[in-house]
Amino acid sequence: MISIPDLRVILIDDNEIDLLLHERLISLQQISRTVLSFSNANKALEFLSSNITLHRIPPTIILLDIQMPEMDGFEFLQAFDNYPHKIKSQCHIIMVSSSLDHGDINRTNANPLVIKLLRKPLLAKDLKETVGEIFKDF
Amino acid sequence: MKENRIRILYIDDEIHNLNAFRASFRRSYEIYTASSAQEGKLLLKSIDVHIIIADQKMPVSTGVDFFYEIKDQLPDPIRILMTGYTDVEDIIEAINKGHIFSYVKKPWDEYELHNTINNAFEMYQARKQLKEKISELEKTNDELNRFIYSTSHDLRSPLMSVLGIINLTRLDNSVKDPNGYVDMIESCVLKLDGFIQKIIEYYRNSRLDVEYEKIQFDSLLQECIAAFKPQNTAIEFLLNIDQPVDFKGDTFRISVILNNLISNAVKYQKPDEANPKVNLTVKVEPHKASIWIEDNGIGILSEHLNNIFKMFFRSKNNNKPGSGIGLYIVKEALNKIGGTISVESKYGEGTQFEITIPNRNDFDS
Repeated sequence: MISIPDLRVILIDDNEIDLLLHERLISLQQISRTVLSFSNANKALEFLSSNITLHRIPPTIILLDIQMPEMDGFEFLQAFDNYPHKIKSQCHIIMVSSSLDHGDINRTNANPLVIKLLRKPLLAKDLKETVGEIFKDF
Repeated sequence: MKENRIRILYIDDEIHNLNAFRASFRRSYEIYTASSAQEGKLLLKSIDVHIIIADQKMPVSTGVDFFYEIKDQLPDPIRILMTGYTDVEDIIEAINKGHIFSYVKKPWDEYELHNTINNAFEMYQARKQLKEKISELEKTNDELNRFIYSTSHDLRSPLMSVLGIINLTRLDNSVKDPNGYVDMIESCVLKLDGFIQKIIEYYRNSRLDVEYEKIQFDSLLQECIAAFKPQNTAIEFLLNIDQPVDFKGDTFRISVILNNLISNAVKYQKPDEANPKVNLTVKVEPHKASIWIEDNGIGILSEHLNNIFKMFFRSKNNNKPGSGIGLYIVKEALNKIGGTISVESKYGEGTQFEITIPNRNDFDS
């Protein structure tokens, strides 16, 4: 569907069911063959920092939940902002949340690292469109 | 320092007054005395008193000056000014500058002074209780705010997962469902979510500060129509907007009001109506905007018209029961922004709501 051969998707969400749902959605829609799921934002950060040794960082979509225990979506963004350009430039962050809280929504829209905020339940159409927009110049 | 006794500080430069006061009142109260404002201030650093009595005519610092000086650091003790002279200027100054509770003439009448002291202490306790109530209320308010936040997340999050699962069953066709049970689950979940969203709307309306921004009614109404159109594609929307001047208002509340009214106009259409219509008319003037929302739907029974803005009131005679909260939110939101609403309806023919909202454009400039 979306023809970026080595595109990978990283899912960060404390809700195991949503992780599974999003994994299935991505494979059904053939958005990417590589899906990495993290139920803890810290673990995802650790994984991303380990990528620094890679010769080339593959193009990456990160689906990031907002409300999570320990480290929430905003704390993840804050930490990730300090990552080297080599990693940051390859990662495209889409926030995914069921929040209707305007504070959350405004903070998300104001964050330059976030490409878009998608509402839960994540719809195949919305996800495909957003990913398509991100890679329209490829 | 005994806990339950009234503690009084009496300041007077005449030592025999201090002694006489002590002699008369020491059985009833816990008495502290000082012979100057300076000494009084020193004492107040270590002792927490309920009432301060000060003589007005003292060398260096008068009683009023003393009260004025300690006003900010010690707002709680109740002040009583005592003097042998009845100078009106002194009294006025004492009240305005020294925040005193009472003015007592020397020589004091023991019975009267007892009364004054007891009244002052009652005042002290009433103020203290009021402060406690205020902080209790602030705490409750804070908890309510957190309640909205957790409602919007903790209650909705699993519902959104359910909807996600339903969407997935349709994508991969993994569930055989000849009786349409999955659709029923979906409609129940959507209904529950609609109710949660209304509750959040209600709380946001009651807690959020009013904020005025420029509003283009054309785009605001187009957004509303786009949101409700899919619910009944047969409905013809007629938009008539006359906005020759800028309008400033609270975007959140105005869209809550319009969304609820348009949602009702769409929802309560007659099932057999050949030309279902919703007319939206806006007229913006320098001081107000008037909006008419008119439909040719089922209408409202005249005996119900007085009740439709009450919380949880549901008009019967329709087979699409709502939550009974939508129009209540509309009314509350209008109250917050100083707007008004009126309704005209003929059962079986249609309903027209008219709302007016003050234009804050002029208020600012």
